[in-house]
Amino acid sequence: MTDEIDEMEEIIIEFIAEAEESLDKIEPLFVELEQKGEDKDLLNDIFRSMHTIKGAAGFLGFQLIVSVAHSSENIMKKLRDREISLSKELMDVILKSIDMLRLLLEHLKAKDGMEEDIAPLVKELEDALNTAISGTGIAEEPGEPVESGTAATVAENIEPREEPETAGIPESAQNPDAQTGSSPAGQQETAEVAQAAKDNAQKPKETPQNLRVDIERIDKVMDLAGEVVLVRNRLLNISKYFNRNYSVDSQTETLMETVSFLDRVTSDLQIAVMKMRMQPIKKVLSKFPRLVRDISASVNKEVELIIHGEGTEVDKSVIEHIGDPMTHILRNSIDHGLESTEERIAKGKPPKGTVIINIFQKGNQIVIEVSDDGQGIDIEKLKKKAIEKGLLTEEDARKMSDDAATDIIFMPGSSTKEFATELSGRGVGMDVVKTNISLLNGYVEVSTEKDAGTTFKICIPLTLAIIQALMVEVSGAKYAIPLSPIEETRKVSKEEIENITGQNVIVIRDKVCPLFELNILLGNGSNGNNGNEPDHKYIVVIAMGDRRFCIAVDSLLGQEEVVIKTLEGIDTTSSYVLGATITGDGKVVFILDVAGMSRKLFELIKL
Amino acid sequence: MSDLNMKILVVDDFSTMRRIIKNLLRQIGYANIEEAEDGAQAYSKLKGNGFGFVVSDWNMPNVDGLELLKKIRSDDELKDIPVLMVTAEAEKEKVVTAIQAGVNNYIVKPFTGEVLKEKMDKILEKINS
Repeated sequence: MTDEIDEMEEIIIEFIAEAEESLDKIEPLFVELEQKGEDKDLLNDIFRSMHTIKGAAGFLGFQLIVSVAHSSENIMKKLRDREISLSKELMDVILKSIDMLRLLLEHLKAKDGMEEDIAPLVKELEDALNTAISGTGIAEEPGEPVESGTAATVAENIEPREEPETAGIPESAQNPDAQTGSSPAGQQETAEVAQAAKDNAQKPKETPQNLRVDIERIDKVMDLAGEVVLVRNRLLNISKYFNRNYSVDSQTETLMETVSFLDRVTSDLQIAVMKMRMQPIKKVLSKFPRLVRDISASVNKEVELIIHGEGTEVDKSVIEHIGDPMTHILRNSIDHGLESTEERIAKGKPPKGTVIINIFQKGNQIVIEVSDDGQGIDIEKLKKKAIEKGLLTEEDARKMSDDAATDIIFMPGSSTKEFATELSGRGVGMDVVKTNISLLNGYVEVSTEKDAGTTFKICIPLTLAIIQALMVEVSGAKYAIPLSPIEETRKVSKEEIENITGQNVIVIRDKVCPLFELNILLGNGSNGNNGNEPDHKYIVVIAMGDRRFCIAVDSLLGQEEVVIKTLEGIDTTSSYVLGATITGDGKVVFILDVAGMSRKLFELIKL
Repeated sequence: MSDLNMKILVVDDFSTMRRIIKNLLRQIGYANIEEAEDGAQAYSKLKGNGFGFVVSDWNMPNVDGLELLKKIRSDDELKDIPVLMVTAEAEKEKVVTAIQAGVNNYIVKPFTGEVLKEKMDKILEKINS
């Protein structure tokens, strides 16, 4: 008996996930439909998804879902069968039904036992359908009244929830396959649909075998893989010791071979586990067409959204955390970036604004670009506001380069009504975007050109759990610096270090680059040499977007693969520490948060 | 009583639905159940695998339930496999088309294990008589 209950529980969980996926899939289709006009393939896809949700919900006894899906499906069926055409009103009410289904699924997920009053929505759906039908007049067309009447009665018997007014509508042109003798128009449509079906059949989709696995299990495997990496690293160290001291022993050679094999397998395991957590970023993007539609409608602008690279795979945690910042950037682009239609026409631009989301993998990073073809950021105005707000002094503002000035929008407190309208400025500003992205160890930068547009570029490391790091030492303590933002390492002599207005800098390939002592950054006071500067220093050059800075350390120890363990109770926003790891020799080492460092340091020196 | 080791293919594009139907079949006592996501996959699975029964959804992408049925009936190897069609609305003209195409019976969603058993037993009885 308990087995059966567990089975039911699992089925319900699966249903929720699958239904949510279906809704995610159909929502952008609707927006696409609105843009492209009525496309029968799209309409059939939409109808089928809604239909399936209803069917499964019926089995599981989720009557509220059945009712909403049923009313919504009725509209989709008539749309698919060309009995009515898509209007903004229908679209709005259908999107509402999708929202309601999501809400109902949330209740199921939370098991909160809460019920929603769906009656008003069901009524609204039916009214919208009736209005659409009386608007087209197709309903009055003589079809096969007797046949249709029977069909409606049958349907009513099976679906007791069906309201009489919808049941009474003649269901002509119901199914193309079933159309044997009707009007010429109907026949033509049948042929079209049959052709479409044939087209579909000719491109059979690949059906990969999928297995749904609880994310906790994957995370557990991820965690264990991390531990294996740590053990591997220790073993590598120990085997090196044996190789040094007992190289004559034949067993040492065997040990070295075995360890090197383990080394390779561990790396493969790591990649395999990492891939298990990767999902196409499409999951996040699917809500954007709807969002763009809603935002552009509310500010009365025409916007086209173009998305490239939606198949790019990213870590699950990226999927979970990138949605909000991207939403915020999109809002910002539409609300502030794009001009009003009149302004665009006056400027000789196409009346419809364009927002492009471009996603791609670059080395070990995922790059997400959101660009608009709007007016660009008015830097002088931005500076002025920042001075008024007390975020900048006038002198700072004057010295500030344009690139640095665009970053003002990421400053906490910059998002006020002067900067943002109601829409984008609901208490949260672009600084939240920055914070969210740095939580993913990523960074965001902005480039803008007057009247050409603005681009936000987000860069995020591919995986968050295991990273390649450069091990460095300062005052006898080891630290790990994530490898991906490191541009190069150098050995510099004392003479190469210059001082400009109190800030140490060095010149690298004709570019001035600020230099910081790691020891001082970490709050250890001095540079650890009691004023006796050594002749040479090792520096690590970090590049975060267009910003570069150098960190001076005592020595470079080499590259190591480290597993990030988060630290409880450490304020990572102020300590420049991202987490910790256990190295090959079994010691706990801090991993430095260079993204945070970059942010803080550039705030300080305002370069 | 029908042979509980009979190999049954459940065809539906929604995995929850496949699972629900599989579960109902297990409750009846059938143990040898396989799944397919659409008509195309179902057809290739059926070929040469000794299936004794097909429970198929109607509305699916690529090859739908009706097309699958037609393919089964026009295939010498498969033509005698009983097919039970799962449909949401028993629209009369739809069912007529299915009967003309050689469906053994249809069942309207949602259904219980008992109704499923009844429909299947009836089909199998008819075939064996």
